[in-house]
Amino acid sequence: MALDVTEHAKPPRAVFLPWMMGHHFGVPFHRDLQRRVILECLDHLVSAERSGEVRTLPIPWVQARKEGIEIERRLGLRP
Amino acid sequence: MTETSDGGGGPPRVAQLRPGLWDTVNERYPGSMIDKADFVPLAPLRKPLSECRLVFISTSGVQPKGSMPFDTVHPVGDYSFRRVPSASRPDELEIHQLKYPTASANRDLNVIFPLDRLRELADEGVIGGLAENFYTFIGYNMDPERLERTLAEDIAAAVSEEGADIALAAPA
Repeated sequence: MALDVTEHAKPPRAVFLPWMMGHHFGVPFHRDLQRRVILECLDHLVSAERSGEVRTLPIPWVQARKEGIEIERRLGLRP
Repeated sequence: MTETSDGGGGPPRVAQLRPGLWDTVNERYPGSMIDKADFVPLAPLRKPLSECRLVFISTSGVQPKGSMPFDTVHPVGDYSFRRVPSASRPDELEIHQLKYPTASANRDLNVIFPLDRLRELADEGVIGGLAENFYTFIGYNMDPERLERTLAEDIAAAVSEEGADIALAAPA
Protein backbone atom coordinates (compact mmCIF):
# COMPACT_ATOMS: atom_id res chain seq x y z
CA MET A 1 0.00 0.00 0.00
CA ALA A 2 2.61 2.57 1.06
CA LEU A 3 6.24 1.66 0.60
CA ASP A 4 7.52 4.57 2.67
CA VAL A 5 5.40 3.48 5.65
CA THR A 6 6.83 -0.03 5.36
CA GLU A 7 10.39 1.32 5.16
CA HIS A 8 9.92 3.38 8.33
CA ALA A 9 8.47 0.40 10.25
CA LYS A 10 11.45 -1.78 9.21
CA PRO A 11 9.84 -5.23 9.26
CA PRO A 12 12.39 -8.03 8.84
CA ARG A 13 10.65 -9.23 5.68
CA ALA A 14 7.98 -7.54 3.61
CA VAL A 15 6.28 -7.89 0.25
CA PHE A 16 5.15 -4.58 -1.21
CA LEU A 17 2.00 -4.54 -3.33
CA PRO A 18 1.31 -1.31 -5.24
CA TRP A 19 -2.43 -1.74 -4.88
CA MET A 20 -5.36 0.13 -3.42
CA MET A 21 -6.01 -0.02 0.33
CA GLY A 22 -8.37 -2.83 1.26
CA HIS A 23 -6.94 -5.07 -1.47
CA HIS A 24 -3.70 -6.47 -0.09
CA PHE A 25 -4.47 -9.92 -1.45
CA GLY A 26 -5.90 -8.72 -4.74
CA VAL A 27 -9.38 -8.31 -6.08
CA PRO A 28 -12.65 -10.20 -5.48
CA PHE A 29 -12.93 -13.75 -6.84
CA HIS A 30 -9.39 -13.69 -8.33
CA ARG A 31 -8.27 -16.83 -6.60
CA ASP A 32 -5.00 -17.17 -8.54
CA LEU A 33 -3.90 -13.66 -7.62
CA GLN A 34 -4.87 -14.05 -3.97
CA ARG A 35 -2.92 -17.27 -3.86
CA ARG A 36 0.08 -15.77 -5.62
CA VAL A 37 0.41 -13.02 -3.02
CA ILE A 38 0.56 -15.58 -0.23
CA LEU A 39 3.01 -17.79 -2.10
CA GLU A 40 5.22 -14.75 -2.77
CA CYS A 41 5.24 -14.03 0.98
CA LEU A 42 6.09 -17.63 1.81
CA ASP A 43 8.89 -17.69 -0.73
CA HIS A 44 10.29 -14.45 0.68
CA LEU A 45 10.10 -15.95 4.14
CA VAL A 46 12.38 -18.76 3.02
CA SER A 47 14.74 -16.89 0.71
CA ALA A 48 15.34 -13.46 2.32
CA GLU A 49 18.98 -13.15 3.28
CA ARG A 50 19.03 -10.03 5.42
CA SER A 51 16.60 -8.19 7.65
CA GLY A 52 14.68 -5.42 5.95
CA GLU A 53 14.48 -6.93 2.47
CA VAL A 54 11.35 -5.69 0.72
CA ARG A 55 10.18 -7.72 -2.25
CA THR A 56 7.83 -6.24 -4.82
CA LEU A 57 5.13 -8.10 -6.67
CA PRO A 58 5.39 -6.69 -10.21
CA ILE A 59 1.68 -6.47 -10.90
CA PRO A 60 0.22 -2.94 -11.20
CA TRP A 61 -3.17 -2.14 -9.76
CA VAL A 62 -4.66 -1.53 -13.21
CA GLN A 63 -3.77 -5.08 -14.28
CA ALA A 64 -5.17 -6.66 -11.12
CA ARG A 65 -8.38 -4.70 -11.52
CA LYS A 66 -8.76 -5.58 -15.21
CA GLU A 67 -8.28 -9.27 -14.51
CA GLY A 68 -10.79 -9.08 -11.68
CA ILE A 69 -13.41 -7.45 -13.90
CA GLU A 70 -12.92 -10.15 -16.53
CA ILE A 71 -13.33 -12.90 -13.91
CA GLU A 72 -16.51 -11.29 -12.60
CA ARG A 73 -17.90 -11.14 -16.14
CA ARG A 74 -17.18 -14.84 -16.64
CA LEU A 75 -18.92 -15.58 -13.35
CA GLY A 76 -21.92 -13.53 -14.44
CA LEU A 77 -21.42 -11.05 -11.62
CA ARG A 78 -21.20 -7.99 -13.87
CA PRO A 79 -22.39 -7.16 -17.43
CA MET B 1 4.27 -2.42 -14.06
CA THR B 2 4.20 1.22 -13.16
CA GLU B 3 7.78 2.20 -12.56
CA THR B 4 9.76 5.34 -12.03
CA SER B 5 13.46 6.03 -12.28
CA ASP B 6 15.51 8.84 -10.84
CA GLY B 7 17.61 8.84 -13.99
CA GLY B 8 20.71 7.87 -12.06
CA GLY B 9 20.95 4.40 -13.51
CA GLY B 10 19.69 2.70 -10.36
CA PRO B 11 16.98 0.06 -10.32
CA PRO B 12 13.48 1.33 -11.13
CA ARG B 13 11.16 1.83 -8.19
CA VAL B 14 7.54 0.73 -8.28
CA ALA B 15 5.29 3.77 -8.09
CA GLN B 16 3.09 4.05 -5.03
CA LEU B 17 -0.58 4.89 -5.24
CA ARG B 18 -0.05 7.19 -2.24
CA PRO B 19 3.54 8.47 -2.30
CA GLY B 20 4.80 10.40 0.72
CA LEU B 21 2.13 9.02 3.03
CA TRP B 22 4.41 8.69 6.06
CA ASP B 23 5.59 12.32 5.85
CA THR B 24 2.09 13.62 5.18
CA VAL B 25 0.52 11.94 8.20
CA ASN B 26 3.44 12.56 10.53
CA GLU B 27 3.48 16.26 9.67
CA ARG B 28 -0.16 16.64 10.69
CA TYR B 29 -0.03 14.23 13.64
CA PRO B 30 3.56 14.29 14.91
CA GLY B 31 4.70 11.02 16.46
CA SER B 32 1.72 9.05 15.21
CA MET B 33 3.66 7.03 12.64
CA ILE B 34 5.85 4.03 13.41
CA ASP B 35 9.52 4.86 12.88
CA LYS B 36 11.99 2.20 13.99
CA ALA B 37 15.66 3.10 14.17
CA ASP B 38 17.08 -0.36 13.54
CA PHE B 39 16.28 -3.59 11.80
CA VAL B 40 15.56 -6.57 14.03
CA PRO B 41 17.73 -9.65 13.46
CA LEU B 42 16.35 -11.93 10.77
CA ALA B 43 14.87 -15.04 12.43
CA PRO B 44 15.73 -18.06 10.30
CA LEU B 45 13.12 -20.66 9.46
CA ARG B 46 13.80 -23.70 11.64
CA LYS B 47 11.88 -26.30 9.67
CA PRO B 48 10.39 -26.77 6.21
CA LEU B 49 7.34 -24.69 5.31
CA SER B 50 5.40 -27.91 4.85
CA GLU B 51 5.79 -28.52 8.59
CA CYS B 52 5.06 -24.97 9.76
CA ARG B 53 1.81 -23.84 11.35
CA LEU B 54 0.89 -20.40 10.11
CA VAL B 55 -0.85 -17.63 12.02
CA PHE B 56 -2.39 -14.70 10.17
CA ILE B 57 -2.35 -11.27 11.81
CA SER B 58 -4.34 -8.45 10.27
CA THR B 59 -5.29 -4.81 10.82
CA SER B 60 -8.48 -5.39 8.85
CA GLY B 61 -10.88 -5.18 11.79
CA VAL B 62 -12.36 -8.53 10.77
CA GLN B 63 -14.01 -10.23 13.74
CA PRO B 64 -16.49 -12.98 14.53
CA LYS B 65 -20.09 -11.86 14.36
CA GLY B 66 -21.33 -11.25 17.89
CA SER B 67 -17.94 -10.33 19.36
CA MET B 68 -17.38 -6.87 20.84
CA PRO B 69 -17.03 -4.49 17.89
CA PHE B 70 -13.78 -2.55 17.62
CA ASP B 71 -14.12 1.07 18.71
CA THR B 72 -13.64 2.64 15.31
CA VAL B 73 -14.39 6.21 16.38
CA HIS B 74 -12.17 6.56 19.45
CA PRO B 75 -9.86 9.56 18.83
CA VAL B 76 -6.66 7.69 19.73
CA GLY B 77 -7.69 4.25 18.50
CA ASP B 78 -8.56 0.84 19.90
CA TYR B 79 -5.65 -1.18 21.33
CA SER B 80 -7.51 -4.45 21.75
CA PHE B 81 -7.43 -7.49 19.49
CA ARG B 82 -9.87 -10.23 18.50
CA ARG B 83 -9.28 -13.93 18.00
CA VAL B 84 -10.74 -15.22 14.75
CA PRO B 85 -10.92 -19.03 14.58
CA SER B 86 -9.07 -20.14 11.47
CA ALA B 87 -11.88 -22.61 10.81
CA SER B 88 -14.37 -19.75 10.43
CA ARG B 89 -16.43 -19.35 7.31
CA PRO B 90 -16.42 -15.85 5.78
CA ASP B 91 -20.14 -15.51 6.47
CA GLU B 92 -19.43 -15.94 10.18
CA LEU B 93 -17.24 -12.82 10.18
CA GLU B 94 -17.81 -9.10 9.82
CA ILE B 95 -15.66 -6.00 9.44
CA HIS B 96 -15.47 -3.17 11.95
CA GLN B 97 -13.04 -0.66 10.51
CA LEU B 98 -13.57 2.68 8.82
CA LYS B 99 -10.13 3.50 7.47
CA TYR B 100 -10.05 1.55 4.24
CA PRO B 101 -12.56 0.81 1.47
CA THR B 102 -14.44 -2.37 2.34
CA ALA B 103 -16.68 -2.72 -0.72
CA SER B 104 -14.49 -5.44 -2.24
CA ALA B 105 -13.91 -7.23 1.07
CA ASN B 106 -17.65 -7.34 1.69
CA ARG B 107 -18.04 -9.23 -1.60
CA ASP B 108 -15.02 -11.51 -1.14
CA LEU B 109 -13.33 -11.38 2.26
CA ASN B 110 -10.23 -13.04 0.82
CA VAL B 111 -9.01 -9.71 -0.60
CA ILE B 112 -7.99 -8.66 2.91
CA PHE B 113 -8.44 -11.79 5.00
CA PRO B 114 -7.51 -14.78 2.81
CA LEU B 115 -9.07 -17.51 4.93
CA ASP B 116 -10.01 -19.71 1.98
CA ARG B 117 -6.63 -19.41 0.23
CA LEU B 118 -4.69 -20.17 3.42
CA ARG B 119 -6.87 -23.19 4.13
CA GLU B 120 -6.27 -24.47 0.59
CA LEU B 121 -2.50 -24.12 1.00
CA ALA B 122 -2.70 -26.02 4.28
CA ASP B 123 -4.84 -28.75 2.70
CA GLU B 124 -2.34 -29.08 -0.15
CA GLY B 125 0.57 -29.39 2.27
CA VAL B 126 2.33 -26.24 1.10
CA ILE B 127 2.26 -25.20 4.75
CA GLY B 128 1.93 -27.56 7.67
CA GLY B 129 -1.35 -26.15 8.93
CA LEU B 130 -3.04 -23.15 10.44
CA ALA B 131 -2.98 -21.93 14.02
CA GLU B 132 -6.28 -22.43 15.78
CA ASN B 133 -6.86 -18.68 15.80
CA PHE B 134 -5.94 -15.72 13.66
CA TYR B 135 -5.58 -12.25 15.21
CA THR B 136 -7.04 -8.94 14.18
CA PHE B 137 -7.09 -5.34 15.33
CA ILE B 138 -7.74 -1.99 13.68
CA GLY B 139 -5.03 0.00 11.98
CA TYR B 140 -6.07 3.35 13.39
CA ASN B 141 -3.91 3.76 16.49
CA MET B 142 -2.31 7.15 17.07
CA ASP B 143 0.22 6.12 19.74
CA PRO B 144 2.81 3.77 18.23
CA GLU B 145 4.64 3.36 21.53
CA ARG B 146 1.48 2.17 23.26
CA LEU B 147 0.74 -0.04 20.29
CA GLU B 148 4.11 -1.74 20.64
CA ARG B 149 4.01 -1.94 24.45
CA THR B 150 0.50 -3.38 24.73
CA LEU B 151 -1.24 -4.63 21.60
CA ALA B 152 1.82 -6.02 19.83
CA GLU B 153 3.05 -7.75 23.00
CA ASP B 154 -0.40 -9.15 23.75
CA ILE B 155 -0.71 -10.65 20.29
CA ALA B 156 2.86 -11.98 20.36
CA ALA B 157 2.15 -13.73 23.67
CA ALA B 158 -1.09 -15.24 22.36
CA VAL B 159 0.58 -16.43 19.17
CA SER B 160 3.42 -18.03 21.13
CA GLU B 161 0.96 -19.91 23.32
CA GLU B 162 -0.72 -21.34 20.25
CA GLY B 163 2.53 -22.76 18.93
CA ALA B 164 2.56 -21.00 15.57
CA ASP B 165 5.81 -21.34 13.63
CA ILE B 166 5.37 -18.57 11.08
CA ALA B 167 3.29 -15.40 10.92
CA LEU B 168 1.84 -13.61 7.95
CA ALA B 169 0.99 -10.04 8.95
CA ALA B 170 -0.99 -7.80 6.64
CA PRO B 171 -2.30 -4.25 6.83
CA ALA B 172 -5.63 -3.42 5.31
